[in-house]
Amino acid sequence: MKNNYLLFKKHFFLLLFIILTTNLSAWAQATNVTGTVKDETGEPVPGATVMIKGTQVGTVTDIDGAFNIQASPGAILVISFIGYTPSEVAVQSGKTSYDVTITTSMSDLSEVVVVGYGSQIKKEVTGAIQTVGGDELTDMPVTTTAQKLQGKLAGVQINQTTGKPGQGMNVRIRGQLSVSGGSDPLYVVDGFPITGDINTLNPDEIQEITILKDAASTSLYGSRAANGVVLITTKRGKTGQTNVNFNVYTGFQKVPENGRLEMLTAEEFAQFKKEYYTDAGQPVPAIFQNPSDFRGKNNDWYDAMLETAPITNYNLTITSNKEKVNTAIVAGVFDQKGVVRNTDYERYSIRMNTDYAISDKVSVGVNVAPSYIVDNTPQTDGSRGTGILFNALHTWPVMDIYDENGDLTFFNRFPAETGNIFAYPNWLRSADEITNQTKRVNILANTYAEWKPIKGLSLKSTFNTEIRNSNYFFFNPSTATNRINVAIPTVAVSIRDNFRDFSWLNENIATYTGNVGDHNYEILAGFSNQQFRSDRTRIQADTYADDRLPTIQGAININRGGTFSDVDEWSLTSIFSRLTYNYKGKYLFTASVRGDGSSRFGADNRWGVFPSTSVGWVLSDEGFLNTSSSISFMKLRASYGITGNNNIGNYTQYALVNNTINGVFGNTVVPGAAVTSLSNTNLGWETTAQFDIGLDLGLWDDRVTFGYDFYTKNTTNLLYAVQVPQESGFTNFNDNIGEIKFWGHEFTINTVNTTGAFRWTTNANLSINRNEVLELADGIDRVYGFAHITQVGQPFGQFYGLNKLGNYANAEDLANSPKIPGRSTVGSIKLEDVNGDGVITFGGDNDDRTIIGNPFPDFVYGFTNNFSWKNWDASIVASGSQGNQLYMRHLYSTANLDGVFNMVAKVKDRFRSPENPGEGIFGTTVGGGNVTGIERDWPNSNFVWDASYFTIRNITVGYTLKKLPKSVKSARLYASGQNMWVFTKYWGGSNPEVSMQNNGQGDGGNLSPGVDLAGYPVPRTITFGVNLNF
Amino acid sequence: MKKHIIAFVVACIALTGCEDFLTVVPETQLSSATFFKNQNDFEQAVNAAYVPLRTIINDRAWLLGEMHSDNTYYARNVLFGATDNQEDIADFSIPESNGTSANVHVLNQWRQDYLIISRANQILVLIDDVDFDAAAKANIKGQALFLRAYAYFELARYFGSVPLHLTPVATREEAALDLSSEAEVYAQIEQDLVAAVPLLPKKSAQQPGRVTEGAARTLLANVYINQKKWSEAQQILTPVVTSGEYMLMADYAMAFPGNASNKNNAESVFEVQFLEGAAGLNGNFIYQFMPRPISAAELQPIMGTSNPQNIDGEGNNIPTPDIIAAYEDGDLREDASIGYVFLSGSFRDDKTYPYIKKHAKQHSQHNNTGTNWVVYRYAEVLLFMAEILNEQNKPGEAAAYLNQVRERAGLDPTTASGQAEMREAIFMERRVELAFENKRWFDIQRTDRIEEIIRPYGQRIINNPLDYYYPPIEGAVPRSNAFTNLSKFYAYPAAESDLSPYF
Repeated sequence: MKNNYLLFKKHFFLLLFIILTTNLSAWAQATNVTGTVKDETGEPVPGATVMIKGTQVGTVTDIDGAFNIQASPGAILVISFIGYTPSEVAVQSGKTSYDVTITTSMSDLSEVVVVGYGSQIKKEVTGAIQTVGGDELTDMPVTTTAQKLQGKLAGVQINQTTGKPGQGMNVRIRGQLSVSGGSDPLYVVDGFPITGDINTLNPDEIQEITILKDAASTSLYGSRAANGVVLITTKRGKTGQTNVNFNVYTGFQKVPENGRLEMLTAEEFAQFKKEYYTDAGQPVPAIFQNPSDFRGKNNDWYDAMLETAPITNYNLTITSNKEKVNTAIVAGVFDQKGVVRNTDYERYSIRMNTDYAISDKVSVGVNVAPSYIVDNTPQTDGSRGTGILFNALHTWPVMDIYDENGDLTFFNRFPAETGNIFAYPNWLRSADEITNQTKRVNILANTYAEWKPIKGLSLKSTFNTEIRNSNYFFFNPSTATNRINVAIPTVAVSIRDNFRDFSWLNENIATYTGNVGDHNYEILAGFSNQQFRSDRTRIQADTYADDRLPTIQGAININRGGTFSDVDEWSLTSIFSRLTYNYKGKYLFTASVRGDGSSRFGADNRWGVFPSTSVGWVLSDEGFLNTSSSISFMKLRASYGITGNNNIGNYTQYALVNNTINGVFGNTVVPGAAVTSLSNTNLGWETTAQFDIGLDLGLWDDRVTFGYDFYTKNTTNLLYAVQVPQESGFTNFNDNIGEIKFWGHEFTINTVNTTGAFRWTTNANLSINRNEVLELADGIDRVYGFAHITQVGQPFGQFYGLNKLGNYANAEDLANSPKIPGRSTVGSIKLEDVNGDGVITFGGDNDDRTIIGNPFPDFVYGFTNNFSWKNWDASIVASGSQGNQLYMRHLYSTANLDGVFNMVAKVKDRFRSPENPGEGIFGTTVGGGNVTGIERDWPNSNFVWDASYFTIRNITVGYTLKKLPKSVKSARLYASGQNMWVFTKYWGGSNPEVSMQNNGQGDGGNLSPGVDLAGYPVPRTITFGVNLNF
Repeated sequence: MKKHIIAFVVACIALTGCEDFLTVVPETQLSSATFFKNQNDFEQAVNAAYVPLRTIINDRAWLLGEMHSDNTYYARNVLFGATDNQEDIADFSIPESNGTSANVHVLNQWRQDYLIISRANQILVLIDDVDFDAAAKANIKGQALFLRAYAYFELARYFGSVPLHLTPVATREEAALDLSSEAEVYAQIEQDLVAAVPLLPKKSAQQPGRVTEGAARTLLANVYINQKKWSEAQQILTPVVTSGEYMLMADYAMAFPGNASNKNNAESVFEVQFLEGAAGLNGNFIYQFMPRPISAAELQPIMGTSNPQNIDGEGNNIPTPDIIAAYEDGDLREDASIGYVFLSGSFRDDKTYPYIKKHAKQHSQHNNTGTNWVVYRYAEVLLFMAEILNEQNKPGEAAAYLNQVRERAGLDPTTASGQAEMREAIFMERRVELAFENKRWFDIQRTDRIEEIIRPYGQRIINNPLDYYYPPIEGAVPRSNAFTNLSKFYAYPAAESDLSPYF
């Protein structure tokens, strides 16, 4: 975390230089004192502060750690540097040169951390925040920033819901969720709340990430803060230095064998079919009579879709902070092939950050960060209808991938008497031939001007823009399809979907910092305006004469329904203010308020006010604790505040007119239009009121630091489309309804286990998040998801269905148990008769459904160990989740006991007879769909499985070369492995992390979390890198 | 807080006003904020108010108004389930609980009628505040009033007391209203139609297919007749007869529009418009009226399409032996109205079923017709006049109107004499002249003859299921609850009741 101070330092030292230069003349009678500041390893420390104690006079060390200051004999020089313990030296008469050594501080409490609209000394922070420095993130070979944060943050659950390169990261701070609104946190890059995806940001541009969790730290972001805020600070130069860093890594990705869903082989499949017909008393089709015929002739379609894929990253960083100019240039090229055929992701990015001091009082800065991203994933994820990976998974293994010439087959279909209902295209061809490509150009730019007219006062104005252009191109040639049972040739389809998004923000902030004796305060006030516009054009065309020319004009038909243009806009005007006060740095108080006026809010409810307050007490600064030697730091914090979630749609408040309700008179078509939705002029944000109490503790000179937070928050005014009687002419009314209560505990512990030559530190965290639905709309106590229920008095989004008790063991069991009339047989699934009426019923008045599982974990945890010994360094990052369950949705195909698809290997142990009942998971195949349909078509607890996991996220080992040519400052060689091992009992697929809402796989949606549809697997990545500093 | 106010003021000045900055209306979709500003907007709005009539006519008017009577029944196909909703209507066995029913057709009828009403309300509440051509405005307003009255008249006849929405619903609280009595609903219908009559152009001056003065008068006459307000009915209907705008088509079969021709013909007073094609303006009711399973080859001669396909399921709206017997000897209308088709896939011995020939018009694409549906035609105006006069004890004058209709059907003048006989003669004439035009249930209902007619009809079916198209298969008999719910009104739809505190 030593880089945390960098942004602060820039401003601070700039200021210091100015003050010092203007004051030097007053000390003309003093003598010139010089010296060098070094750390314990003897390396010079540039940028360290050298102050004359009790004055405002001081300087900073240059790149060689040297300083030069006018000081009188007897004066005390205080040498300090963030991350180090301050050192004091007395100026002696006649001695003009001093070498000072400063030692690394165990504590980072004196560090400055970025908070909303400013920065704060960590010790004085009263909110619940957590920071991660860029140096903790550099070596990890991943595509997105969020992947780098997995396991490092308490209270933040980050799940990778798909292995698609660059996609699928699901970040939830303190378990926040919503019935129909968005729950992603707000991402703020260099003070600019971006409207796009942080995944487009090159992670190497990041210097520091701060997560704001409680209301006190987020409420300055008002109506966008309820989901938490992620502040991202990009790189800046170090004072007095020019650094050139070149980092390259390359390696490969592979889906581990261990953890894949185990399916039947060709021989096992043939054996299943043979048994299926035998058990049913039917003749066995010829090809299945000797399953051993298929020995060694297995077609593992899923495995055939996968390949070992290279990943390479080049990154050049140049920073310079000299005289009046501070610049940082980060250029990156990232090239990742996916582990599924024909998937890839490339990113080319440049960032240039420049700060320029025009005069003592005026400075300006510009950041410009263009990037270009191309990714292609040919419809890998989806359900049985659309996802080629899922389709490959359940394709019969007796069907040939390659023909006798070694070429890919086109099409596989067996005779009807084999039970082959569906024809299957060759999925490898689908992957190779279907284009599903997005090209994005992003330009993020920040500019500012800052004026400091008098001491303590800063007036700063910023203007920020974000431009995003994305061009999506989809082409399904006539030779391929992503669907089962579609004849080849297909109708070729092309889709072009282009977005041009533009957002700007102007912010004007005044900050005054001052003190009256020991009373220190900072007052901040500002106003801002932000606007967003997205222009979309979508063209869908089909029926191509020639697959080689998928142009629009090459199509015979334009699909009217899929061709349209659209505009999305919003605007936001805000005023905000904050007072930060402390007495002797010991009693801390902060209050803030933001008013947001949003175009999304109804005309009668346009402004939301979001206040917060927090207090802190540094007990360790009190006399009664100072005497204790073991407690080096202790702070109690508490905060309360109100924040909003404005992800309610841009036009939800309006009564929209549909102008495609056409009429006809005679044989003439006439245009028709009608109001199709109700306006709600009171529509507003979702409101979250949050209370947080926390303890920060440092023991044994901060060798062990401990953090604890308890939070409780109530989200009310949830956006929901409440059904209304249709005598109104409308179906629903978008309203703010209901209440969900969230609460949780967060623990962090950081320890320095060993010091000296072998240094070992550990950071660990654990979080417990809970929620309960307290209220929905009037007269509504439950809403349903896919196989889910959100019900008053229960946690959100619980799995809901019939409860499986087993299979009917024998005729007696069947006779004496409640059953499904006409469908239950010996060996079929035995379900619980919840309402006790003697009959098993799905839905309707006599419903036997009940809550059958919980997609949310009991707790999540993570830890990081860092080691260093001589030239070696190593780190291990791990994270886990305990008690969460998944709905193994793909079983509706992969355990279809009629043998229509290939099946999970576990069906071998199904119920065959009362004497041979199997392991109890899958029932009898006898009776066909009338019997087997129950267990696959009625959501039941057989689909719900524990998905607790523990994952070794990353292991990195590095070696720093010492003997180098003069032009090279340092060189480090390293090896890094990502997603090394996943330990889980979950058997439904290789990724137990799909366990969150919005999995984007068809059956998702806010109300239906934790559904597994066998999507893109998450690979293991092994890379080797070199990091050179010049 | 003073600081905030100052900051806000600065912010707003810099941006030429906050409200402007914060008002972002959808650019690619019209909203109520930007719509209803000119004549064109209101024309589009009234066009959309007609639209629900298509689904009402195509999908359920014949279920609730014709198959719910002794004129038509379903042709039981034991191979298919999920037919309870239709069978319950034909069998007078809709399950009710607390005055509500889950029958999906009842529900959709309710919802479609209120869709017309809400669209009409939007127009009526706003149109007077927008300045445009007075004649165009009167025409649009008249159409909106007619459509609202038409929908309420359907609701009043199907349900009796219903919520009476007369202004657009703007809030969640306004979405549900208490029930208004049948009398209050009728009063509103009369008020709307009385207002509509002078606003609407005559048929010759109106775009064909739109509501006319004559249509409004006919509908209002029907409303009066339903309430036995005979003199008011006579007063409002007489100008339709004297206007010279309408006449009987020479051939009875020609009274019914074709797929693309003969639409809105001289006999037509008000008809619901369809257009064949892929634009979604088509109907397919004649396909729903076919007995099943029917093969493509058996279907093709009736439909005339180039791409006939087999149809499975259960056929509905099949003419009963009762209606077939109701035609007098020599009535030309029988052959024009009812045809017969041989189904090779049928379980019945003769495999032959009657079907509604008068609505079967040749078209080009399978399951996609442009045939209009006549709601009111001049023949009914004449029969209304006959009834109105007879009920005012002028059977002689009534006979003149009745005989015009009989003459075209190739029948001799009526022999009925006296009010009672004439009343029965008119009732019988309406049955055959207007057969399969969704009039029969309403005639039985308004004349309080449900018990008299439906009870014995039900007994006939229960006793002779083979005569009513049940297959000769064991167990294929009328269901045990058949003809157990002969109520005058349909129960309120349960799905709506769940959301309303008032019923």
